[in-house]
Amino acid sequence: MYEWTEEHQAIIGFVRRFVDTEVRPHIDDLEHNGVPPYDVLRKMYVTFGLKDMAQENFQRQLDRKLGGEPSQERRTSDPAAQMITTIELCRVSPGLVTSLGVSTGLAAGTINKLGTPAQMQRWALDLMTLDKVGAWAITEPDSGSDALGGMRTSAKRDGDEYVLNGQKTWITNGPYADTIVLYAKLDDGSNDDVRNRKVLTFVLDKGMEGLDQSRPMRKMGQHGSPTGDVFLHDVRVGKDRLLGETEEPLGGGRQSAKDNFVAERAGVAAMSLGIIDECLKISIEYAKQRKLWGTAISQFQLVQLKLAQMEVARVNVSNLVFSHIERSLNGAVPTFAEASAMKLYSAQAACQVADDAIQILGGNGYIAEYRVEQLSRDARVLRIYAGTDEMQVVAIAKDLTRP
Amino acid sequence: MNVVVCVKQIPDPAAPQSFDAQYNLDRSGKLILDEADTYGVEMALQLVDKAGSGEVSVVSMGSANDLAGLRNALAMGAAKAVIVSDDALRGTDALGTAKVLAAVIKRDLPDLILCATESSDGYTGTTPVQLAELLGLPSITFAKSVSVEGSTVKVNRQTEAGYDEVTAPLPCVVTVTAGVVEPRYASFKGIMAAKSKPVEILSVADLGLGDETGTKGAREEITAVVAAESRQAGEKYVDEGDGAEKIVAFLESIKVL
Ligand SMILES: Cc1cc2nc3c(=O)[nH]c(=O)nc-3n(C[C@H](O)[C@H](O)[C@H](O)COP(=O)(O)OP(=O)(O)OC[C@H]3O[C@@H](n4cnc5c(N)ncnc54)[C@H](O)[C@@H]3O)c2cc1C
Ligand SMILES: Cc1cc2nc3c(=O)[nH]c(=O)nc-3n(C[C@H](O)[C@H](O)[C@H](O)COP(=O)(O)OP(=O)(O)OC[C@H]3O[C@@H](n4cnc5c(N)ncnc54)[C@H](O)[C@@H]3O)c2cc1C
Repeated sequence: MYEWTEEHQAIIGFVRRFVDTEVRPHIDDLEHNGVPPYDVLRKMYVTFGLKDMAQENFQRQLDRKLGGEPSQERRTSDPAAQMITTIELCRVSPGLVTSLGVSTGLAAGTINKLGTPAQMQRWALDLMTLDKVGAWAITEPDSGSDALGGMRTSAKRDGDEYVLNGQKTWITNGPYADTIVLYAKLDDGSNDDVRNRKVLTFVLDKGMEGLDQSRPMRKMGQHGSPTGDVFLHDVRVGKDRLLGETEEPLGGGRQSAKDNFVAERAGVAAMSLGIIDECLKISIEYAKQRKLWGTAISQFQLVQLKLAQMEVARVNVSNLVFSHIERSLNGAVPTFAEASAMKLYSAQAACQVADDAIQILGGNGYIAEYRVEQLSRDARVLRIYAGTDEMQVVAIAKDLTRP
Repeated sequence: MNVVVCVKQIPDPAAPQSFDAQYNLDRSGKLILDEADTYGVEMALQLVDKAGSGEVSVVSMGSANDLAGLRNALAMGAAKAVIVSDDALRGTDALGTAKVLAAVIKRDLPDLILCATESSDGYTGTTPVQLAELLGLPSITFAKSVSVEGSTVKVNRQTEAGYDEVTAPLPCVVTVTAGVVEPRYASFKGIMAAKSKPVEILSVADLGLGDETGTKGAREEITAVVAAESRQAGEKYVDEGDGAEKIVAFLESIKVL
């Protein structure tokens, strides 16, 4: 696949119209007035029948689970449709995609993968349809890149129950989440090194005793996506909240966190493409119309170089997105290293393109009205979350130099 | 109830336009569904929905090289599409277009035919009433709302002063204004399903038509295409302590105060 099909183009047309009429006019509310992203996302889900599709998708996954088949990765019928909404939303508010992806992808995806049928029905369906908001909490103040080894949040056995204590930070949707998928280290009373202890995955509901969700934090960008802390003080949970209802679920714990990294990293490429495409479009229009020394600035070679480099980035990242779609259609999953390479390149390209766009627009680039400054701030986190640039390098190199 | 909507596929109005020597718009590029026609499609879908049975079909004349516009209407929920596409139609004027559309619609007369009041590119606004005349049907133009009760269509017809309430027996041709209803977004499933909905492509010969269409049949001729006059430079008022009064006087002179 190297271009959108006629149907994809029709989808792009409708989604673009929705974004232009339902998102763009509210961008100030999302960016500056603290309006959470969920209502506009729900509207999009209902408008395009994505809610019904989510329900059917859930049913398929549940049937597979009941039939004893290994739960498949969250593959919808056409991966392109999801990529298209990601790309189109990212032209205007990448934060919307962060919140959507964490809730329907990471939180619901993890429950579907590790959970029992009863747990899937109890939590995942409502997250997939956006009736409820989900968070996926692994990072802690003292363990980000080293999330699994450095994790301190503990789950102590107490009879049939566990008692959870600790803190998670920078949790997307944390302030508003109804359902929180939470990773914690098993404390079985032994003297094993904490680094090597078993990682368990629990599901928590808003309002549980001992669970506190902070207010949204102020941050550089992605204002469309609320981020916060999650605090746990003696939160008591039964086995029914332990995913898989066992300490040894198939593909659970550490493996489940890693599986999510692959999906996240592919998503970042599509997010980057939306940002790149929009910044390039704005830059070309501006460079053609801004006249200095009696000529359009698009005639200056230094500006042309930037435009050309932006186009190179656009071509490369769209090729990555197309090849990812084609692979998914064939049921092929990228390796950890490939997914990391895709994320590393796309995130850096998006940041470079957005920064160049600011430069081409000069003072206007720095002023909010022209929107590239927001996209630049929004793009920056793509090099940090879902694994920092450095961790992508580590993952790729480790794979390349494997003995 | 069955409803036919006449829809036109037009070159994207946002893209630069060019004309040939006969002042025909270049239609060789990408075509989209005329936005003016999306209101008719939505109205038709709502009326059929309300009636509880029947279907919406769309009928078009023009190039079938690109069917994206028709697929759009099918994605919204129309059941099938018919397009008359033929080199012999080059140069067809509005009356010729009406003849072609009438020939298609006559094959299986629906209960109601909807058109836009005018297309976004040709803009003559004459096709629908000519179509009604050729079909021997009543026509109501400028509908701002449409409802069907039994075998009667009730229309609020936009006027300068307000609106007229008009009724006509079905079958009938009605032209709808932009904003009569809010066109829906097609669902992703609808878009995918549109691919397998029937699109019938007809030639002039299929309809038994001949010289009444095309350049030969055209009785109007475009003799020139002239760019709209660019806006005049505005009038400058210099504030010599009486700026506010000058502005008030100006606003009074153009009767906005
Ligand atoms: C907006 C936002 C949303 C987020 N959402 C979520 C969420 O929903 N759920 C969640 O669990 N987490 C979330 N995070 C956390 C995110 O995943 C972490 O910030 C990220 O993993 C990096 O961890 P850290 O911030 O602790 O950086 P650190 O791990 O402290 O890294 C600091 C620096 O050291 C470098 N470094 C670390 N280790 C190495 C090494 N071995 N070699 C070379 N360099 C190294 C890093 O690359 C980085 O430059 C979010 C973060 C942000 C900003
Ligand atoms: C000199 C001349 C040359 C032309 N040459 C060509 C040509 O080469 N190729 C070609 O395809 N057309 C050609 N046309 C036809 C033209 O594009 C219009 O279809 C026709 O004139 C209708 O006029 P309008 O666009 O002003 O429609 P209006 O009367 O403004 O349209 C009102 C409504 O009528 C219906 N309608 C109008 N046209 C169509 C249509 N084509 N199909 C379905 N519904 C329709 C729609 O509901 C539309 O919203 C030519 C017209 C003229 C005058």
